[in-house]
Amino acid sequence: MAYQAEISRENPTCILFVIDQSGSMDEITEAGRSKAAFVADVLNKTLYTLITTCSKSDGVRNYFDVGVIAYAGSQVGSGFGGALSGDIVHPIHAISENTLRVEERKKKVDDGAGGIVELKTKFPIWFDPKSQGGTPMRAALRKTMETMFGWCEQHPGSYPPTILHVTDGQSTDGTPEEMADGLRQISTKDGAALLFNLHVNTAAGQEIVFPTSESDLNDDYSRMLFRMSSPLPEHLAKFAGDKGYTIADGSRGFIFNGDPQCVVDFFEIGTRPRVVADR
Amino acid sequence: MRPRDLHSKSRLPLAFSVPKREDQHNEDSFRRSAKGVYALSDGASVSFDSASWARILVRRYTRDPEFTREWLSAAIAEFRQLYDRDSLPWMQQASFDKGSFASLLGVRMADGGRAIQVLSVGDSLAVLCDGDRIKATFPISSAAEFTQSPQLICTNPTHNAFLDKMDFAYDLVADWSFRGLQQPALLCMTDALGHWLLSQRDRDSSPISVLRRLRTPGAFARFVREERAAGRMKRDDTTLIALW
Repeated sequence: MAYQAEISRENPTCILFVIDQSGSMDEITEAGRSKAAFVADVLNKTLYTLITTCSKSDGVRNYFDVGVIAYAGSQVGSGFGGALSGDIVHPIHAISENTLRVEERKKKVDDGAGGIVELKTKFPIWFDPKSQGGTPMRAALRKTMETMFGWCEQHPGSYPPTILHVTDGQSTDGTPEEMADGLRQISTKDGAALLFNLHVNTAAGQEIVFPTSESDLNDDYSRMLFRMSSPLPEHLAKFAGDKGYTIADGSRGFIFNGDPQCVVDFFEIGTRPRVVADR
Repeated sequence: MRPRDLHSKSRLPLAFSVPKREDQHNEDSFRRSAKGVYALSDGASVSFDSASWARILVRRYTRDPEFTREWLSAAIAEFRQLYDRDSLPWMQQASFDKGSFASLLGVRMADGGRAIQVLSVGDSLAVLCDGDRIKATFPISSAAEFTQSPQLICTNPTHNAFLDKMDFAYDLVADWSFRGLQQPALLCMTDALGHWLLSQRDRDSSPISVLRRLRTPGAFARFVREERAAGRMKRDDTTLIALW
């Protein structure tokens, strides 16, 4: 049975974010922020949450290898800056140690005695919003396929990699569908790589979340991204259902025009492996 | 056959624990007091410092087994004093804020076992036996329940909100007795062994007789190793306190 492998330091899994940074990502959403700013913010928070999950008093445990592929104009490469920019995928402890900066924020928390106190909290930043040029999605997914093929060869017993792809539009370098098909065929002994797609499109149509068919999608690009998406494995389908989404047999890891909470949930569901080692 | 006296030599508890891996720290903790109070806690590995949290819980419980909201607040305050939050690197500060999680299983025995009170938060398991028969388990009664995420006690009070809905003296407690049992025994164990025991019971075998034969740390470690290798036991810190 697939997607059962325990995730541990000996057998980490891989989470790869593939991010469209083309010019159209600078469009302002209803919330008053650009799509690029929103995606960068969610990505920073997702990494923060993943690293927090792996952090103990004696250090960060490598339950995950994490990578970011960014694509825009003629460029496809690591989405990380600084010391992380040389490779696509890094152990999570390396990511925790190489931020662009750490900001100070404030949050209100329960003081344990019935009151609320304001705490200063350190918040790391890895990504700033970027948006320029065309959308080389085919090249990006080719790079993803090559990267994940190598990772799976090195980790044959691990829970397979999860790829979260965020885009707002159409590929400008040819169809990416065959690359996606190839990517979903890469596997470890525990199952095939999972490709989930988030289509952020301010123009065309209402929110469609985890659909079972492409019939409700009203443009070719959305339908193609639906076909490119993996069905949700049982444990992720349950997690999405627990979050209140309507899930049916065959629901795919695809969201079209999700609201901000839906986008946050997309990242949370996609980065929720079946078993975090040792509970 | 009369029930054996709790204060006889044979009633001294056997306590064994093995880590999930030989090179890793064991985050289970157990303790007993001279007054017949036993405590077991399973620290959740995926949290900041569950080993220290588990140690605090069992030490405080064996000193003061009246588990109340005030008791819990005092335990959290003690944990927070272990670290200077503001000086922690961001990733450890975030994990410290998120909290450390652990189960708590406490047993108070009075009158030679004629009155036994079991308190449990989380998925550590108490088992009352008569010979090789399981008479009662608490708080879990079937192996399938172990697949659900347990509600554990946390150093971040936000995650203890589930306790707000509970009557501690009713929802968290089971009252048992050795009275009327021919060969009474009480076992306390963390979740990997609890799951194993209830799974074996479901298969109509006699898991109690298997555990009864384990009288040394080496025998317990070998048993755990073999059951893990056979795929019958989850790889996790594994602890047994047995009052045979």
